[in-house]
Amino acid sequence: MTEGPVTHVFDTGPLRHFTLNGWLGVLKFLTGGRIVIPESVEREIKDQQHQHAALRQILDADWITVDRSDDLEYLAAFARYEEHLVDGGRNRGECGVLALGRTRGHRIVIDDNVPRVLAKNEKLDCTGTLGLLCEAIRADKLTVFLVESLADDLLASEYRLPFGPGGFRQWAAENGLLT
Amino acid sequence: MVNRIEGGQRKVTALELAAIADALQARMQSFFTDPAPSIVSHRSAQGLDATESAVDHLLTELAAAVEFLHGLRPIQGLATREPWEPPTSTEAVEGMAARARAEAGYGPDEPAKNLQDHLATAGLLLFSQDFGADAADAGSVLLEEGGVAIVNSAPKVGRRRLSAVHEFGHYLLADEYTVDWRTAHTGPDIEGRIDRFARAFLLPATAMASVWPRAVTANGTRTAAVTIAGSYLVDMSTLARRLQDLDLVDASTANDIRAVQTTQTDIVTHDLYPSHELEGLTQPRTYQKHVLALFEAEKISRDRALGLLGGTFTDADLPELPPRQEQEIWEYVS
Repeated sequence: MTEGPVTHVFDTGPLRHFTLNGWLGVLKFLTGGRIVIPESVEREIKDQQHQHAALRQILDADWITVDRSDDLEYLAAFARYEEHLVDGGRNRGECGVLALGRTRGHRIVIDDNVPRVLAKNEKLDCTGTLGLLCEAIRADKLTVFLVESLADDLLASEYRLPFGPGGFRQWAAENGLLT
Repeated sequence: MVNRIEGGQRKVTALELAAIADALQARMQSFFTDPAPSIVSHRSAQGLDATESAVDHLLTELAAAVEFLHGLRPIQGLATREPWEPPTSTEAVEGMAARARAEAGYGPDEPAKNLQDHLATAGLLLFSQDFGADAADAGSVLLEEGGVAIVNSAPKVGRRRLSAVHEFGHYLLADEYTVDWRTAHTGPDIEGRIDRFARAFLLPATAMASVWPRAVTANGTRTAAVTIAGSYLVDMSTLARRLQDLDLVDASTANDIRAVQTTQTDIVTHDLYPSHELEGLTQPRTYQKHVLALFEAEKISRDRALGLLGGTFTDADLPELPPRQEQEIWEYVS
């Protein structure tokens, strides 16, 4: 389990993965119930509710708070990340996540690689869906069997790693995650 | 709400500020950083009442984009440079044109083709876009390293190329910010001298002195005009004016040349290949390569890369990023 009073700031993608698989409760356990989302992520979730009604659970969860920061430091950080990520209004969720990670010291949860590289270069604490799934397996809240379909999909698509179907299970077995 | 924001009783959130930027067709970052010093001094000189034209708007946008990209990784060819002395005589203009051709990588008498590629080697990134017939011909802005120029693609190719080289002249003289409404005047002022510079750049004196008389003797004035304008990719008006600059034709012959229209038969008969330079929305290859490299290095997102490529690329045109190494999984599981 994640130690201490760390607050996690989530991008839309990881929250969506956990919610649509019915693991929001696992997320509450893993994060100690300390999750914030920037309002730019809240906007993306509201936009996606039409396709996935289950996402409403995120907005209704009283332990997930929406950060509506308006201080100059946060806005300047948001704008700086926009330069790398945004066109036509897309990817503003990621900017809010990075800006909160940068200015509040929250642990960032994000899957897309460009923001992950930005976070890494700035030495920000950062993980993603797969990292949290592994934490959940270690904490006996999820099993490899339960998560392998999502993990395989993430490895092959979003993370561009050379693993085929069943690849995560094999990797987990080889690296002691099954024990 | 706007009243409360204006009165300082309420701040704006990131999404509200983003919406304001969208409404202004500006990037959010422009609220936090000063534009290039040349744009700042231009705006100061214009005062608060000045309205911004479409060319001004795009120049500001491109200058910011180029500075952002150059800051991430230096763009090849962009560097600080010593400004050239403004020419004060026709001899000095001719000398400036010869020196500029060499700087852009052209041989002394070679037709100046592919201006975007060549001017980029001298640090000027040249873009084109159709602003319509009533807009300015061109504009340019000097950056701390290199410069950016835009040519209105509405006029025909000869005038587009003339405008492009005119802006190159401003760039070499380190003119900070210029919007040129008609790049074809002949006065004795600096704009007139830069126009002569542009003609001299496109139609080098030594080449014209040997090629023109020979072509006229062989095929007559009309065919000489068609073949030389077609080879050097200039319009008849520019050719006529240039031949007059060099005392190779009198006023009457110059008028005859201006009236010449190149026909399809001319194109086929004389093996001419009409240029499509700066037609519609175009970007310098150097700039596009740089955006692609930063996308592949994952310094900018796919959406941002497409935005910077300004509609010259579709999503399908962007490359798929290569797979990572197996051991990189550790980056994702901790």
